[in-house]
Amino acid sequence: MKRFVGMSVTLAALVGGLVLLAAGFYWVAAGLGWAFNWAGIHWLGTVPDGTVSAAAIHFGASVGNVLTLMLVLLMISGSLLTVAERKWSALMQNRIGANRITVGGNPLGGIPFLAADALKMLTKERIDPAAATRLLFELAPLLSFAPVFALFAIVPVGPPIDLGALVGDAAGAGRSIALQVASLDAGLLYLFAIASLQVYGTALAGWASNNKLALLGGVRASSQMISYEVSLGLSLVGSMMAYRTLRLDEMVVAQGHPVLGGFPAIGLLLQPVGFLVFFASAFAETKRAPFDLPEGESEIIGYFIEYSGMKFGMMFLAEFLEITVLSGVVTAVFLGGWNPLVVSTEWLRSAVSPLWFGAICAGAFIVKMIVIMWLQLTIRWLLPRFRYDQIQQLCWKLLLPVALANVFVTGAVILIDPSLQLLAWLGLGIIAGVVVLVLAAGRPAPARAGDHAHAGGH
Amino acid sequence: MPYQIDNRPLDLRERMYFPEIIRGIGALTGHFLRNLFFSRDPNPDILARPRGFGRSDNVTVQYPEEKAPYPPGYRGLHRLVPREDGKARCVACYMCAAACPAQCIYIEAGEVEGDPVEKAPVVFVIDELRCVVCGLCVEACPKDAIRMDTGEHAPPSYERAAQIWDKARLLRGPSVNYQHDPWLRREAPSIPPAQRAAMKASARPFPSVGTDEYAQTPGFSVRVLAAEAKERDDRARAG
Repeated sequence: MKRFVGMSVTLAALVGGLVLLAAGFYWVAAGLGWAFNWAGIHWLGTVPDGTVSAAAIHFGASVGNVLTLMLVLLMISGSLLTVAERKWSALMQNRIGANRITVGGNPLGGIPFLAADALKMLTKERIDPAAATRLLFELAPLLSFAPVFALFAIVPVGPPIDLGALVGDAAGAGRSIALQVASLDAGLLYLFAIASLQVYGTALAGWASNNKLALLGGVRASSQMISYEVSLGLSLVGSMMAYRTLRLDEMVVAQGHPVLGGFPAIGLLLQPVGFLVFFASAFAETKRAPFDLPEGESEIIGYFIEYSGMKFGMMFLAEFLEITVLSGVVTAVFLGGWNPLVVSTEWLRSAVSPLWFGAICAGAFIVKMIVIMWLQLTIRWLLPRFRYDQIQQLCWKLLLPVALANVFVTGAVILIDPSLQLLAWLGLGIIAGVVVLVLAAGRPAPARAGDHAHAGGH
Repeated sequence: MPYQIDNRPLDLRERMYFPEIIRGIGALTGHFLRNLFFSRDPNPDILARPRGFGRSDNVTVQYPEEKAPYPPGYRGLHRLVPREDGKARCVACYMCAAACPAQCIYIEAGEVEGDPVEKAPVVFVIDELRCVVCGLCVEACPKDAIRMDTGEHAPPSYERAAQIWDKARLLRGPSVNYQHDPWLRREAPSIPPAQRAAMKASARPFPSVGTDEYAQTPGFSVRVLAAEAKERDDRARAG
């Protein structure tokens, strides 16, 4: 019971802390936006005195978001996932997990292991294969690391709020800042483009190591990732059509609009099939179990076999960052983004000050992200690895046709009923069908051999 | 616990794959939430830990801090059984050393004054690194002077020397006392008369089948096993 109360308090404190963190992010963005405006007036002379330049504000806020969202949110959640991978898997498997590093007698949920791991990676001996192609060998970890960060740039973590509410009406009236590094018109296309770049890191790591096993891993990785990019792209076409935009921030706003009697039109409701296909494809792109063929420890070790020390650490960390980014994208496209969902977004906007509206919404976004990250780790610990032909079959024979059918059906339904009502009913029907299939009686739990002993008359 | 797996082919719903994955996620979520919100029962007897709603499913025994007891009859570290006056029961007959297949027992005998046994080990060393834990020394001992009933295994050490157990380390544990022990029957002058009387009062009869003493597993008995074997033989001969 003590643990139950403690855990409940911890989780509540976590949610509260995330809201406070988001408020801090807004302050950083607003402060830097205001500072850039000030610098434009006083140092550069590009902004006329006494005015507010939208470009300066936007640029400053973006720099602030790079610092907060990418370096704080993305980096910290990515590295905490290395600990979560152990502790959460332990909880799922009825174990305790890493708890031998304690601070004042308290294992703190295994978080001190983060420091120990980083120290280990950084101080490990660096071994470079003599016959490696040096430039590409050194470049590969960067190439697998960088696209992940670039991807997070378009994830809208928090809603735009009026700058005037933060720094005084005179300075920022009418200018808004959002917790999003870059709001691109190309939006999802940028996502596909950068996601495709990730394959360079793994393929080059495999090739440049001059190791047959690494090459095998690299080849597997490239064929797998290129295959799944097709279904990855097609699975989001339905969402693009439903929300009539490529911009993720506009998609999130559209998901707040009510459909089906006030329930918000979140992507999961309108595009359940798209969600399943996108989630599976993106999961394959992260190269984690059950899609971890490129690194199969028991057979070829993987494309990073020749990497040691922190270069391996970067490959390792990139995988976890991919999880975080994938969670962000799934949250933005399918789970209503920063719309809190438990309360009406419009009601919240009118009930609290703009800063707290933004902070609560961004907190909701991060909580949803954590749930999706947890879901990914759960699936990783749930499923054994696919065989290689199964991976390709799943992609080309199942996900791709389903994604294509989803595109056509979604298009037809939107054509019939542009108000999305029909699409929502269809989605609801599909979700109900999945629920029925899940709850339908499966095979009974295996009987313990001991139970039969008495009946068998031993 | 072995499970019987039902190997019938997958039906359509199972081949659709996603519903079963979602069921699996549900199962893992149940474990996750139970283990997250409820604390582990530290009872070393894992099967006796309460299960079900509102309980952790955790099966860990945090080994160095918590130890699951070994089953009775477990062959642990040797000990030299002491008499009640603190000396070893051992009479240095070398039967254990002769029986030892790993030759890990080294004994040097010496004379003792004022005791009817007249002979006792001066040096008694067991090399626990060579020991194969077969228990033949215990079976061989005519005096019930060496036992493996400590319930411990050899503790880890940084030096090999720490695994060479001499008499001072081996002589420990509860003392054992039999009615016809020579130092009681023939009144060893080295034991004060009052203590000798107390020892006589607490002495027990010597078991006719030595191994029964150590096989403390409930229901296990060498005598019963021997009787069963004899019965089997008789039946085989008759039938």
